[in-house]
Amino acid sequence: MSELVLQSLYAGLLAGGYYALIALGLTLIFGTMKVINLAHGEMVLLAAYIAYTAESVYGINPVLAIPLAVAAVVLTSVMVYGLVSRIRQDRELNSLILTFGIGIVLTNFVLMVWSADIRSTNVPWFNEPVVIGEAFYSTSAQVLFFLAGLGLTAALWWWLGRSWYGRALRAVASNRNAAMLMGVNPRTTEVISFVIAGLLAGIAGVALYTVAVIHPDLGHNLTIKAFVITVLAGLGSIPGVLVGAMLIGVAEYMTITLASSALQELTGMVMFLLVLFIRPSGLFGSRGRVG
Amino acid sequence: MRAFPIAIVAACYLVVPVVLGSNDYILSLVIAALTLAAIALSWALLGNLGGMVSFGHAAFFGVGAYTSALLAKDLGVPVFLAMLAGGAGAALASVVTMPALRLRGPYFALAILAYAQIFRILANQMTGVTGGAGGILSIPPLPTVFGFDFSSKLGAYLVILTLLVLGILAYKAIRDSYWGLALKAMHDSEDATRVIGVPSTRLKAAMLVVSAFMAGVAGAFNAHVIGFLEPDYAFAGTWSVIPVVAAIFGGYRTLSGPILGALVIYLLDQLLFKTLMPQGHQIMFGVLLGAMILFSPSGLLPLLTKPFARFKPAKRTPTPEKRHAAAA
Repeated sequence: MSELVLQSLYAGLLAGGYYALIALGLTLIFGTMKVINLAHGEMVLLAAYIAYTAESVYGINPVLAIPLAVAAVVLTSVMVYGLVSRIRQDRELNSLILTFGIGIVLTNFVLMVWSADIRSTNVPWFNEPVVIGEAFYSTSAQVLFFLAGLGLTAALWWWLGRSWYGRALRAVASNRNAAMLMGVNPRTTEVISFVIAGLLAGIAGVALYTVAVIHPDLGHNLTIKAFVITVLAGLGSIPGVLVGAMLIGVAEYMTITLASSALQELTGMVMFLLVLFIRPSGLFGSRGRVG
Repeated sequence: MRAFPIAIVAACYLVVPVVLGSNDYILSLVIAALTLAAIALSWALLGNLGGMVSFGHAAFFGVGAYTSALLAKDLGVPVFLAMLAGGAGAALASVVTMPALRLRGPYFALAILAYAQIFRILANQMTGVTGGAGGILSIPPLPTVFGFDFSSKLGAYLVILTLLVLGILAYKAIRDSYWGLALKAMHDSEDATRVIGVPSTRLKAAMLVVSAFMAGVAGAFNAHVIGFLEPDYAFAGTWSVIPVVAAIFGGYRTLSGPILGALVIYLLDQLLFKTLMPQGHQIMFGVLLGAMILFSPSGLLPLLTKPFARFKPAKRTPTPEKRHAAAA
């Protein structure tokens, strides 16, 4: 039994790496623009389907299809920004409804183009077992995208904290007018944050395709998962995303091992509500007001 | 009530049955559209009076459907009574969601979404009560009362029309009451209303209960008309999405907006979009929703009546939105 628990702990931590990939883009936009992009999960899914087409039609390895997937999702992300930035009044709530609508459009677009069938990768390398210390089992795709998740979280953390544009972005988030006086163009920085969110969503989509199975209805769940992790992490906290993602991953795998796989989704939802009610600023958030 | 709305309601009761009474296909479309209108109305009541946007009205719709179906089927409760109990069940379920009232706009919307998912998973898991994923078959249909068969298409139409009219009257009564005024004030500034002694959280909670009750009755009605329930249908995202689209489309701050919105959206979807695009026709919901938010956030009705607005005397006081915009 303890071996099973240890194994699910390990699997949960690994899953946390790619969950973080899924959540980072949403966290970035939410933390800097206070916009919850409800189409985020659908953007991840779009990238996953592009990887699927690259593999099944052109025989390209999904990992090599990342540039293509990223390009498509970045374009989508910039279009989302173009629409969201047109909202003048009550932006927080109206952008929520607008991106909800964009999500419906993307889900149905995916359904029209790729039909409702369940897809997964056929490249054998991704499903090869990686065994560590005779005790911990995983697939090479899981390990690959766990490492990618770690690397990209660190990169985003560095970018937001240290680079000129990262600091400009935080400046715009905290005081748009003051940032403008300091010579920062708020629109440029906001477009850049959507580009980066699209980039992360693109990579996350390919990760999703190689690690798990995809179907058109998934986008909605991915958005919720990303939002749960974002709330758990605390408003805009990048390292918090990694910790939150791993917590969700471990909680899900523990539920599968100790209870039933049907309850996996329930765990995430219950954790989400608990965090909202008990500690709305998240685990690592500075005092953000949600109540 | 003025003469015009009464005339429309009278036409719905007298003219529509005569004109459409023999066309079962059109009548069943209208019944489905009115069911959605009832959910959209309950959604708009919470949104307009309570000031809360919900992304999970499927939670209340589903609980109402299951409560009523199980009471009628397993305990033999008369169907109309069971439908009332369905509403009560949904109202009870809304009590469970009340911790979410502490949360601000977007967080509330998503918390209710999480509740809808949790209810769906629970309905799937509680196989002893709900039959799990297998669903419930042969739910008792609407009964025959005084020789009139309400399980016919015409009967079902009259039932949902009556429910909708009752919903409108309740909404109107609340809106025009003292509490409606307090809720309106709360929408402008919740803190200020609290200061002068309005129990704002309790009022919001009351709106949530009323809204859940209405959505629950709609769910119950639908269950008895369809005769079949499964968790993935009763708690489907559609029941959360269409009311939002319909209410935003028609204008959720008006009484007739959500109802007209639901009728237009659903009939367009079934008669036009579905024939043009057999798969993924709901893409148009997303397009309409986005277009409304961008071009006319207050809905279609204000957009249509705007050209006539200039014939009315101009208002002196600016709208709250404009004041906020000026302040920001």
